Amino acid sequence: MSDQSVPRVFLVDDHALLRSGIRAELGDNVEVVGEADEVEAAIEMIIERAPDVVLLDVHMPGGGGKAVLEGVVKHSPSIRFLALSVSDAAEDVIAVIRAGACGYVTKNISGTELIEAVRRVASGDAVFSRHLAGFVLDAFRQESTETTRMTSFDPELDQLTPREREVLRLIARGYAYKEIAVELKISVKTVESHVSAVLRKLQLSNRYQLTNWASERRLL
Amino acid sequence: MLAKRAMAISGLSPIAERRSPWQDQCITETSNPSLADSAAPQSTPPSASRRRIERPLLRSDDGCALGGVCDGVARRLGLPTKSVRAIWTLTAFIFGVGAIAYVTLWITVTRRGETSSIGSRTVRDRRELQIILAISTLVLAILIALQAIGLPDIDGVGWPVAVTGLGGLVVWRKCSSDERLRLQELLNAAPVSGITSSKSWKVVALRATVGITLAAIGIGLLSKNGSRSGAAAGALVGAMVLGAGFFTLFAPWWLRTLRELTSERRERVRAQERADMAAHLHDSVLQTLSLIQRSAHDPVEVARLARIQERDLRSWLFRPAAFWTRAESPSTLVQAAADIERDVEDNYGAAVELVVVGDCPLDVAVSALLAAGREATINAAKWSRAASISVFIEVEADLVSMFVRDLGTGFELQTVPPDRHGISRSIIERMQRAGGHAVVRSALGEGTEVALTLPRSHAQL
Repeated sequence: MSDQSVPRVFLVDDHALLRSGIRAELGDNVEVVGEADEVEAAIEMIIERAPDVVLLDVHMPGGGGKAVLEGVVKHSPSIRFLALSVSDAAEDVIAVIRAGACGYVTKNISGTELIEAVRRVASGDAVFSRHLAGFVLDAFRQESTETTRMTSFDPELDQLTPREREVLRLIARGYAYKEIAVELKISVKTVESHVSAVLRKLQLSNRYQLTNWASERRLL
Repeated sequence: MLAKRAMAISGLSPIAERRSPWQDQCITETSNPSLADSAAPQSTPPSASRRRIERPLLRSDDGCALGGVCDGVARRLGLPTKSVRAIWTLTAFIFGVGAIAYVTLWITVTRRGETSSIGSRTVRDRRELQIILAISTLVLAILIALQAIGLPDIDGVGWPVAVTGLGGLVVWRKCSSDERLRLQELLNAAPVSGITSSKSWKVVALRATVGITLAAIGIGLLSKNGSRSGAAAGALVGAMVLGAGFFTLFAPWWLRTLRELTSERRERVRAQERADMAAHLHDSVLQTLSLIQRSAHDPVEVARLARIQERDLRSWLFRPAAFWTRAESPSTLVQAAADIERDVEDNYGAAVELVVVGDCPLDVAVSALLAAGREATINAAKWSRAASISVFIEVEADLVSMFVRDLGTGFELQTVPPDRHGISRSIIERMQRAGGHAVVRSALGEGTEVALTLPRSHAQL
C-alpha cells in the first residue's frame, strides 16, 4: 500500500480499553504511529511523530482534548485532529472545533465510518457527525434578517448559504456524503467543500449566538 | 537582641549608611567605652548600646506591635522602642492624643520597603476616597447628634474614638497585602487559648489591653449616666463601648467557632452528595450490570440494557434538570421527542439517534406530527432490521419538519398489504389532517426515510 492510502494515525484517550477498541476497528486501514493517555505526553509525542491525523478524546484529565490541540497547533499547525467523544454535549464539541479540530464523531460510530472519517480528515476535509450538523444549524439559525444584520460584523462568516444549510440538514438526517451528492445532484467533492466552508465559519465566526454561547461557558 | 537588629538594619538599609554630622557625633558619643560597658556586654559592638538615628522616618516592618509607628519613631529619634511605646501609651489617655497621633502617623508615614504611604494611596484612589468621606460624614453626624442630645461626657471619649476608628478603617482598606496579612494574624490570634509562640503572646496582650480599656470606658460611662435621669443615650453609648470591648476580647474565638461550623456544614453537604451519587449509581449502573451478566447469552437483550443505561446515565450527567423532571408529561417538542426515543429504544430494541434543532411548545398539530413520527420510528424498529434509526427534527420560523431514516431492508410501497394501515393511516392521513405533509421513500436493500413537514404559521395562529 502506498503512503497516500494509509493515513498515519495517533490515538489520544485516557482509557486503554477504548484505545485498543479503536485500534482493532481501524485494523490495517491506517497506520497507528502511537498512543498517549495524558495531555503532556500526547503533545510531546504528536509533535515528535508528526502523524497525519490525531484521534482525540474530548474528555481527558488535565485540560481535555482542547489542551492537546492548543499545545500541538502552536508547534505543528499542519497536523489534523478528529475529535471523538462519548457525549454529544454541544459545549464539548464547540470547544474542540473552535480550538482547531477538523471534525467530530461520537464514539459509537461504526468501524467503517470511522475509517472513512479518518481518510477524509487526512485529505484535508471536515467531518461532521449528525449531532454536530444539528448544533451548527441551531447556532446559525435564521432569525429575522433584521437582527442578523444588526449584530453581525461579517455576514460572510456569520451566515450559512442556503446550499450549506441543505448539506447540513442532510447530514443531520443521516445521509453519507455520497448520498448527499446524489440527493442534491452535485459531486462528492462539492459536498466536501461545503462542509469545509461550514467548519471554517464555525471556527472563525464571531456570530453573536456562537460567541455568547461559548463565553457563557468560558470556552473563549 | 537589640544590637543584632541595629546591625542588621545598618547593614541592609542604604538610608542608614548616609550619615549626617549629628549622626556621626552620636556614634562617637556612644563609642565611649564606659557608656558601652554600662549598657551592654563587652562583646557587642559599641554602637549598639544606643540606637543609631535613622532617616527618614519610616514605619518598621518587623518586630512591631501594631503599625510599626513606635518602632519607627524610636529609630528616627535614636531611642529604645520600649520607652517610646510606654510614653505613647500614656499619652493615649490624655483625651486620646496618643491614639490619634498614632493613627495619623500610621496613615501618613511610608512603611519600610514600600514606596508610598497609605494616605497617598487613598488620595489617589477616588472611589476609596468617596467611601471614606461618606463614612466620615456619617460618623460626624452621629457624634453631633449625640452632643445635641446633651452628653457632656461624650466629648472626651467620642471624638478620639471616632477619629481613631476612621483612621483604622483607612489603614485596613488601603494597606499593602503584606501588612494586611500581619493585621489579619493580629485579629485572628486567640484571646484565651491556642497560644503557641511568644509572638502571639504579644498580640494577645495587645488585644487584652484594648479590650479591657474599652470595657472600662464603657462601664465608666454606664455608671456615670445610670444614676442620672434622662441620660438613656449616654447609657446606650456606654453599653456600645462595653460591647466593643467584649467583641475585641472574644471575637477571634467566636470567629473560629463560626468557621468550624461552616466547614462542618460544607463537609456534611459533600458527604450527602457522595451518598446520593453512590445511591444513584447503585440503583442504575450496578443493577443494569447485574442484569447484563444474567442475560449474557442474549446479545439483543444485552445491547438493549446497555443502551437504556447509557441514555439514563447521559441524561443524569449532562441534563440533570431534564432527568429529574422527565416523569411529568412533556410540554415541549424536545421533551416529547426524547420520550419517543426512550419508548422505542426500550420497547423495540433498536437504537434511536435523535437530533433536534430548535424547540416549540406542543400544540395539537405538533403533537400529531410527533405521533406520526413515532409511528414511523416504531415501524423502522420493527421491520427494517437496522441497528439504529436516525431521527432529525428541525423547528424553523414557519415550518416544523421531522425525518425518520433507517438503512435497513427497505420495502416497496406497492407491496404493502392493504390491511396494514400503519403507513397510510397513522402517518400519511394523520399528517394531512394536521395540515401537514408526509413522504415515504423506500427502496429494497437501501432503507427507508419518512419525511414529515408541518407549516407552522397556521399551527401557531
